[in-house]
Amino acid sequence: MLRLSSLNQLEELRNVLSDAADENVPRIVIPAGTCGQAGDANDLIRVAKREILAKSLTRKVRLRVTGCHGFCQMEPSVLVEPRRVFYPRVGLKEMERIVQAAAKDQVLADILFVDLETGRPVEKQDDIPFFSKQVRRLLSWNEKVDPIRIYDYIEAGGYSALAKVFAAGEPSRVVEEVKRSGLRGRGGGGFPTGLKWELLARQSGKAGKFLVCNADEGDPGAYMDRSVLEGNPHSIIEGMIIGAYGTGATEGITYVRKEYPLAIRHLGVALQQARELGLLGEDILGTGFLFDIRLVKGAGAFVCGEETALIRSVEGKMGEPRQRPPFPIQKGINGRPTAINNVETWANIPLIFRLGAEEFAKVGTKNNSGTKIFSLVGKIKNTGLVEVPMGITIKEIVYDIGGGPVGKARIKAVQTGGPSGGCIPADMFDLPVDYDSLTQAGSIMGSGGMIVMDNNTCMVDVARYFMNFLKDESCGKCFTCRKGTQRMYEILDDISKGEGKLEHIELLKELAEVVKDTTMCGLGQTASNPVLSTLRYFPDEYTRHVVDKKCEAFVCRELAGAPCQTACPVGTEVWRYVALIEKGRYEEAYQVIRDANPFPSVCARVCDRKCETRCNHAVSGGEAIAVRALKRFVTDRVDPSVYKPARAPQYNRDGHRIAIIGSGPAGLSAAHCLSLLGYKPTLIESENQPGGMLVSCIPAYRLPRDVLSKEIESLLDENITLRCGTTLGPDVTIDELFKDSFRAVFLAIGADKSWRLDIEGEDTKGVYPSMHFLKAFNLRGEELAKGHVGIVGGGNSAVDAARVAMRQKAVRSVTLLYRRTYQEMPAYAEEVEAALEEGIKLETLVSPVKIRYIEAARAEGVRVETFVSPIKIDSRHGRLADIRCIRNKLGDIDSSGRRRPVPIPGTEFTIPLDTLIVAIGERPDSDCLASMGLEVGKSGVLHVDAETLCTNRPGVFAGGDLVTGPNTVVDAVAMGKKAASVIDRYINGKELREPPRLKLPEIFVEPAALGGEEYQEAARSEPATLPAKSRKKNFAEVEMTLSVEQATREARRCLRCDLEFTQPKQNGKSDCPALEEKSA
Amino acid sequence: MKQDTITPSKEDLQLQEQLDSNDILDILEKHKQDRGGLIAILEEIQGEYGYLPEKALRIVSEKTGRSLVDVYGVATFYRSFSLKPRGKHHVCACLGTACHVRGAPRIVEELQQQLGIKPDQTTADKEFTLETVNCLGACALGPVVVIDGRYFSKVRKSRISQLLDEARNGFDTVEIGRDKRFFPIDVSCPHCNRSFKDEAFVIDGQPSLKVTVSLDHKKGWLRLSSLYGSYNISSQFEIPLGSVVSFICPHCRVELPSTSNCSMCGAPMVPMLVDGGGIVQICSRRGCKNHMLDLV
Repeated sequence: MLRLSSLNQLEELRNVLSDAADENVPRIVIPAGTCGQAGDANDLIRVAKREILAKSLTRKVRLRVTGCHGFCQMEPSVLVEPRRVFYPRVGLKEMERIVQAAAKDQVLADILFVDLETGRPVEKQDDIPFFSKQVRRLLSWNEKVDPIRIYDYIEAGGYSALAKVFAAGEPSRVVEEVKRSGLRGRGGGGFPTGLKWELLARQSGKAGKFLVCNADEGDPGAYMDRSVLEGNPHSIIEGMIIGAYGTGATEGITYVRKEYPLAIRHLGVALQQARELGLLGEDILGTGFLFDIRLVKGAGAFVCGEETALIRSVEGKMGEPRQRPPFPIQKGINGRPTAINNVETWANIPLIFRLGAEEFAKVGTKNNSGTKIFSLVGKIKNTGLVEVPMGITIKEIVYDIGGGPVGKARIKAVQTGGPSGGCIPADMFDLPVDYDSLTQAGSIMGSGGMIVMDNNTCMVDVARYFMNFLKDESCGKCFTCRKGTQRMYEILDDISKGEGKLEHIELLKELAEVVKDTTMCGLGQTASNPVLSTLRYFPDEYTRHVVDKKCEAFVCRELAGAPCQTACPVGTEVWRYVALIEKGRYEEAYQVIRDANPFPSVCARVCDRKCETRCNHAVSGGEAIAVRALKRFVTDRVDPSVYKPARAPQYNRDGHRIAIIGSGPAGLSAAHCLSLLGYKPTLIESENQPGGMLVSCIPAYRLPRDVLSKEIESLLDENITLRCGTTLGPDVTIDELFKDSFRAVFLAIGADKSWRLDIEGEDTKGVYPSMHFLKAFNLRGEELAKGHVGIVGGGNSAVDAARVAMRQKAVRSVTLLYRRTYQEMPAYAEEVEAALEEGIKLETLVSPVKIRYIEAARAEGVRVETFVSPIKIDSRHGRLADIRCIRNKLGDIDSSGRRRPVPIPGTEFTIPLDTLIVAIGERPDSDCLASMGLEVGKSGVLHVDAETLCTNRPGVFAGGDLVTGPNTVVDAVAMGKKAASVIDRYINGKELREPPRLKLPEIFVEPAALGGEEYQEAARSEPATLPAKSRKKNFAEVEMTLSVEQATREARRCLRCDLEFTQPKQNGKSDCPALEEKSA
Repeated sequence: MKQDTITPSKEDLQLQEQLDSNDILDILEKHKQDRGGLIAILEEIQGEYGYLPEKALRIVSEKTGRSLVDVYGVATFYRSFSLKPRGKHHVCACLGTACHVRGAPRIVEELQQQLGIKPDQTTADKEFTLETVNCLGACALGPVVVIDGRYFSKVRKSRISQLLDEARNGFDTVEIGRDKRFFPIDVSCPHCNRSFKDEAFVIDGQPSLKVTVSLDHKKGWLRLSSLYGSYNISSQFEIPLGSVVSFICPHCRVELPSTSNCSMCGAPMVPMLVDGGGIVQICSRRGCKNHMLDLV
């Protein structure tokens, strides 16, 4: 390699290089950082090379292998310059096509990135929201250079900042420039870099001075330094030479953690190349300036990121921090003045000199200039590295760039600053991201890790995780850090196992404060942050663990048990019957199901399957076990008579009478369970048949009526009296029931009243509330829908109404009108899918439009939320004619964590309709309850004690949708069961509140012997459905049952989370690592 | 910090007997210049033996003048050093925060169960050592497991046993000829531009590439696989691992001129022209797999 011996030669080289490069020749850029390589980017590179050679395309297309571009979620990705076409998740086949297309300057539309919000493909990388909202001053370099080719860096303008500095020839101006830029240390502390350099420059340099690049990026969850080192190592080298020139430093050291092998390799190559080219060593670029950089590898100790510990490590000693002062700037490595800056800080230096300090500081805020790279990871749609101006809000990072939560989860916090940082709750996401604001909020900037947490993340577990980390990484020098972190971990561990007590929380706080106040280095002083910030923002989660023994995120093992069972409102031992299905023991499987759930066949069809949401398969990124389909398989196959419910005949010979208002799933379940306990329940039903919402609401194609009535009948035994056609209020009152010798009353009247739009014209003929429409058909066979039908809403009752309307004779078309997008629809995805298959149209981002009186109010200065519900309904001859709608776009995040629909002015349009069904939600019809002395809350729900279902009237209990608002069948069943046991305790004068009890798997079922290849990810077995054509005009059941083979295969996929609790121990040895940890 | 104690088994003792103190002395010699090099020295020793044998630590202490306590202190302070022999395959599960919230603890449990060992232990058959690490910086891909230097992203419990099997068999065993990522290239002398292709001698089912090599005044032919990505060769005389040879064009007899040194081992890189447009450079050290293919 030639050696450059003057600034002119560097410029000449740059000119030669840029002349040789033809900007117009398409260039395929393949990012192959660690993330890319883990995604098989190396194979893509080979295939690209093979194609280019085989098709002789070397003159038509170029190839560049680079470091990470930041959109890790889409790796392995490919960028094609100069059009900047972005291809996500490229496979080997696609790579071949990309090479051929690029050579012809074509774009492959079918494999472009698709914007989920708009559903449209995006061609250019810079138009993808993830990229377009960033300011990629540093990261964009990763696209421009092959890190192991110094010429790439020079061609792109590298080392020009150094040349500028050398040409100016005044070291003092270097420090001045950095000071004026306002750059603060990117390692987390935020110390002004210029000031640090000034201090170093002032030190006597007789014995030499050190500059250190701290690349011991130990914060878990932060990897921007790795990416910069891997992708653009020369920027660090250039920054360090400039720093050395400005401060008079004589030796440079890069301290890189060993866990980054690729960064070490690329930096090593870069140093070697820089040395060969005369940019490092003696007489740099012929200026007579001497400076070299040595690469020191860390050996896996987190604390070595702390500067005094790092110095010791460089000296070859144990990396224990020491007391400051003296500061490293006075006495550092081998006692000589040392300035330590982090990777990202160094990478910013060349930028400051290329742009000029003023230009540099134009981005960011006053005391926080420039950009900061964050690693956005965890429970977020777009994971990756993002570079943003300082002062941007967390909300913008998480939602605009990060794309918000994965699936329908809700983001609840971000964790910043690694183990020294804290959690910031979602309601504080308007916080600007800068050093000072984050510290105020109880966290820190740290090196830039931003870990997003959603409702599947347990905050106690997060605190426990960090404390485990810190107790391992504490160097042990300070007693309070060494023991304090250990004790805090033990307490958190106890809490996560359900063994916590309330006083532990106080003790935790006390310990945290002590550790903070009495330790020497940054590690100890910040070690309490994870505990303090979670306690500050999420105290409820702690109490849920301690008092209720519940981990709502299903993370804490001992509290979550087998997630399927714990998630099931009725506590079905899902794992057990799945295991029995695998063994072909179907009758036993049925008994397991029926034992927990009096409505097995109903739930096999309409359950919302919380078990599947929580299935460890699904949680770890795969497909949940098809539990509902397996339940259906069993209930279709087994005669219910195999189950004999356990009666307690001796228990309750008095046969007290209990009144149950409402015979829906809650009422029927309560009646059934009370009957088994020997009581004599009376079901009071206002319609002329039992079943409540099961009958009146759920369409027969989802729940065939013969199945339903059989199941209901099986529950109505001789203890139960059924009184139909009797309505609470008009026909009977609570007082009368008590007078009539009923000992207790259980109210379970459901929520069958549709919310009104509350506007003019709503009572026009042809406009129906969804409940009215569904009941008319399901109970009386009346077909109210005619002609062109519109349905306002996006929930399950909207979709039910749409599909029922579709099946009515006089209907010509059905359109669902929803104000947000498909992704946000609360209805079950498979139901929406089925509706679309049946030819139902879906208009999303549409709000029925405002009506005139709202405009009048506006004119008076009243703020009106237009998209909430108002509608304009035109009538002609007293019958519905059309509705006016307006198109929305998605705006800010609202309290539900979803984007708010915002109307776009001027987009109003009219839809002519013959029938309009309003399905924007339901509420209980509870007006009469207030007059009976009960406390009715907003939205018509009744207030009860969540634990005991007690209302404010003694002896009156309530459950089901009346209490929760519209909810699922299985939740209603669970409340019915609970009501039965509470009422039993009430009548026997026992304490109503049951102590919290963990339901862990108890019964051992031999696991299936699986063959090797079966471990490979078998796909989920989905039940077949009737084809849309043959079902859309009748009420035949849509979903079919699994075959024996399908069911067995599906059951074999089960991860059997229960075994951890039930598997007999082989040799009686404790298998619990936590126990050993304690005794160590 | 990390708990580690010296409790040598019989086997270890035997191994320690075999340990060649000259190797240790060589390593020490290399690091004579940098005063702070203890960590680098220990790392190199561990690279050589897979762990830090007691005898090696004693030699290091003696030669560097640092007390054995000091050397032991450093060896036990840092997570990446081991005083116990490690298995043939290294399985390392990341427990960084991002991996943690995506279920890494379950992956570690599964690894423990399948291997029958806990982190920082080695299986009885010395096949596997299980380790955990606090963050590998591949957070977007979590949970991450690294086996023998290979990164596996978004690992699921069900994939573990397959991965371990693959590790046992070696990740590099690919079906040459069937795997499309391996493709033949034709190369020629950068001086006389004549092809090195030798139809008569087949390696990997493809015509090989023939060059002349010289080592210690000995000259003879070397045939390389023409498959890009295959390291199979055949040579007239044995070339010991680690030795650096000169490459000579069999046609014009000019030594292929090196313009740069290997970034991994420092030996000269040998350039050859690639048919179709490009230069391939291979490291001239036997056993070093470094190569670069530039398309021009």
